[in-house]
Amino acid sequence: MADRQWRGARPLKPPGQGRAAHKILAGMAVLAVLLLLSVIIPLVAQAVPALNAAFLFGRAPGSIAPEAVNTVTMVAISAAVSFPLALLAGLYLVEFARPSRWTRAFDQFTGTVLSVPSIVVGLVVVDVAVVRWHWPVSTLTGILALTLMNWPLTVALVVEALQSVPGLYRDGSWALGASRWQTVTRLILPLALPQMIEQGGMAVARLMGETAVLIYTAGVNVGPGWALGGPGESLAVHLWLLRTEGVTDLASSQAAATGVVLLGLVFLVLWGSRRLAEWLQDTA
Amino acid sequence: MRADRIAALVMKGALALFIAVWVMVAVIVGAGAWRFVSANGLVGPLVSSRWSPLAAHYGILAFVVGSMAVTGLALVLAAPGVLALSVTGARILRGAPQRAFIQILTLFVAVPSVVYGWWGLSVAVPLIRRLTGTAGFGPLSAGIVLAVMIVPTFSIMALQTLRQVPSSLVEGSLGLGASEDQTLWHVILPASRAGLSQGFLVAVGRALGETIAVQMVIGGQSRVLSLLKPGATLTTQLLTDLALMPARTPGHDALDFMALWLMILMAVLVWLQSRVRGMSRG
Amino acid sequence: MAPDIEVDSLDVWYGQARALKEVTLHLGPGKVLALIGPSGCGKSTFLRVLNRMIDRAPQVRVKGAVRVGAFEVLAGDVDVTALRRTVGMVFQQPNPFPMTIFDNVAYGPRIAGLRQMAKLRQTVEDSLKKAALWDEVRGKLRRSAMSLSGGQQQRLCIARALAVNPQVLLLDEPTASLDPVSTAKIEELIVQFKTHYTMVIVTHNLQQAARVSDAVAFFEHGRLVEMGPTHDIFTAPRERRTEEFLTGRV
Repeated sequence: MADRQWRGARPLKPPGQGRAAHKILAGMAVLAVLLLLSVIIPLVAQAVPALNAAFLFGRAPGSIAPEAVNTVTMVAISAAVSFPLALLAGLYLVEFARPSRWTRAFDQFTGTVLSVPSIVVGLVVVDVAVVRWHWPVSTLTGILALTLMNWPLTVALVVEALQSVPGLYRDGSWALGASRWQTVTRLILPLALPQMIEQGGMAVARLMGETAVLIYTAGVNVGPGWALGGPGESLAVHLWLLRTEGVTDLASSQAAATGVVLLGLVFLVLWGSRRLAEWLQDTA
Repeated sequence: MRADRIAALVMKGALALFIAVWVMVAVIVGAGAWRFVSANGLVGPLVSSRWSPLAAHYGILAFVVGSMAVTGLALVLAAPGVLALSVTGARILRGAPQRAFIQILTLFVAVPSVVYGWWGLSVAVPLIRRLTGTAGFGPLSAGIVLAVMIVPTFSIMALQTLRQVPSSLVEGSLGLGASEDQTLWHVILPASRAGLSQGFLVAVGRALGETIAVQMVIGGQSRVLSLLKPGATLTTQLLTDLALMPARTPGHDALDFMALWLMILMAVLVWLQSRVRGMSRG
Repeated sequence: MAPDIEVDSLDVWYGQARALKEVTLHLGPGKVLALIGPSGCGKSTFLRVLNRMIDRAPQVRVKGAVRVGAFEVLAGDVDVTALRRTVGMVFQQPNPFPMTIFDNVAYGPRIAGLRQMAKLRQTVEDSLKKAALWDEVRGKLRRSAMSLSGGQQQRLCIARALAVNPQVLLLDEPTASLDPVSTAKIEELIVQFKTHYTMVIVTHNLQQAARVSDAVAFFEHGRLVEMGPTHDIFTAPRERRTEEFLTGRV
């Protein structure tokens, strides 16, 4: 229908009166966003001189490649270990256990261990793995530390994703004679998966940036090649070390470049997990 | 149903492992803290600010005060930004710009703290140095860095809360002749009290537990609060001394004592959060 | 003094979708107009134009003129807050603020700048009495408004609207979510309010329209099909569409 008469009507603007505070807050928000951008833009600007193929992929000392490999492998392995464990625990809590005093106490427990500062986890891993078990300061110990860090967060995100599936669906499935296990695997998990993947992406991104927990567990050195027992300095630790110990001009641009690579990996993980979640949502 | 029973057993196992491991973590920290308390008493170390492990003096007052000051400062500095960003994102922007705004904030939530630390060293510390004529390292710089770091997290939580205020309440207020501003102050913000408190507690936890970004700019000296001179917090002192004090030495037990306090504080914050959630239902 | 309402060839668009087409009507002072019609026919849009609540929808465009008493509602320079104080609104779902009963009713006067506690108390008491809620809540004014039943909450919302001394009341399906007893109480109030306030009520309940209104306007597809005295519309509608709607042959 070619109803073009709306062009003749005048737009009705919301009244301008009594919006002064909103305008001030919007102005402050612009300043706040600029402040946040001031974290990223100088980082990229300083990184430019150091961002070249030799720095990114080279085999010579000073290249960031070993740190990047350490970061990706340690994060991937700890996520691969902690996610299934957390999934099973979360499934039990939401789909099998009856809500009670104990499940509520468990919420408090998860919430607490999930916010234990990473340096405290580092302290415990050093005490147990390095001192008592004589593990080397290495990727292996780093993986243990990261797994421990990631576990509670993953349990929490699994529980949250499962709880976001309406209870009516479960009733519907049980009413058709499905067992709990069938209900969970065929109905609940597919529905909860997109949210789990998106939140899981946030968790993995956080692991990539973990610093304090890795300094004394994975260490501040890299080896000639990747090894499970070899030195395991990550990108974040490298950035920290360069920026707190390095004094040359080169160090500061290399530190910035390391930060840019780290940010690139973090954003890649976020973007990838979001796309995957959207794709799953669309195909469901 | 057999499958159900087997599945439940495996899941219970995974849950038990999770609980057992983290209880062990608490026991290990607790044991060290217990040895420390038996040797040094409970109150003494908390009210003394003399930290000289070589002389067997373990006063942690300076670190406790440092942690509280840095956290408090960060929250005060972050508050206006959080208010502005959350109101803009929830009540001013709509549609596609609103979605883009939220995605940008989410990206900043994911920026690693070591990058915020880098910003502190490259931007905040030199700025403080120029403005005050001091070295620039200290709780003030740490508070600024932490503020910038918690703004995205806190803002996103506040934004989601403000967005959930039913439009029927907003229209009820506007229908009585209230302006947009009056509606914001008198209806939207009070109705969001529970969610805002929750975001506040999460922000407190994040600031209190942050290690690396604070350590990079605070300077690392044990002195009781001077905003412009190098100081330390519970977490930064743990990071500094972890390498210096080998396990099973009295100094190491002092680290466990500090770690236990941090864990207790986190438990209190989580408990408060559950109370706040109850409040929103009632 | 209750004002009259005059609408002259009013058009409303949401973006490019036309919600109202050339609506023209006049409602005398102190009269009750019931708006009826199928869902999506534009009656809620029409109601929300009268106190400019329509502003909240994105990309709204209007044409024509609307006058409520002395207010040129669609004029660019109209004082919207003053208009909304004069034209009170009651919504489909009771929407008390999450505050005490007292603070709910005192909200409007406080917003308008009234600070004296004695006057506030008097206003709250008068408004609650007018809304026939006073006997049920006296001595409980410090309790949360959420502790009231649905019907009580709706009467609280009416009291809240009355507290700012409006001259017009807009009621958007005020009993749609209420049980029959609560509905009867609200209808009783509307009948009592006649001549004191000019009222416009949207309702899906034709019996309700017949019981409370002086005039009925039937909307369909954004057009005002027919408007007339309630008795005439229900007994002898002029338009065939009106008759079909009233007899259920939509």
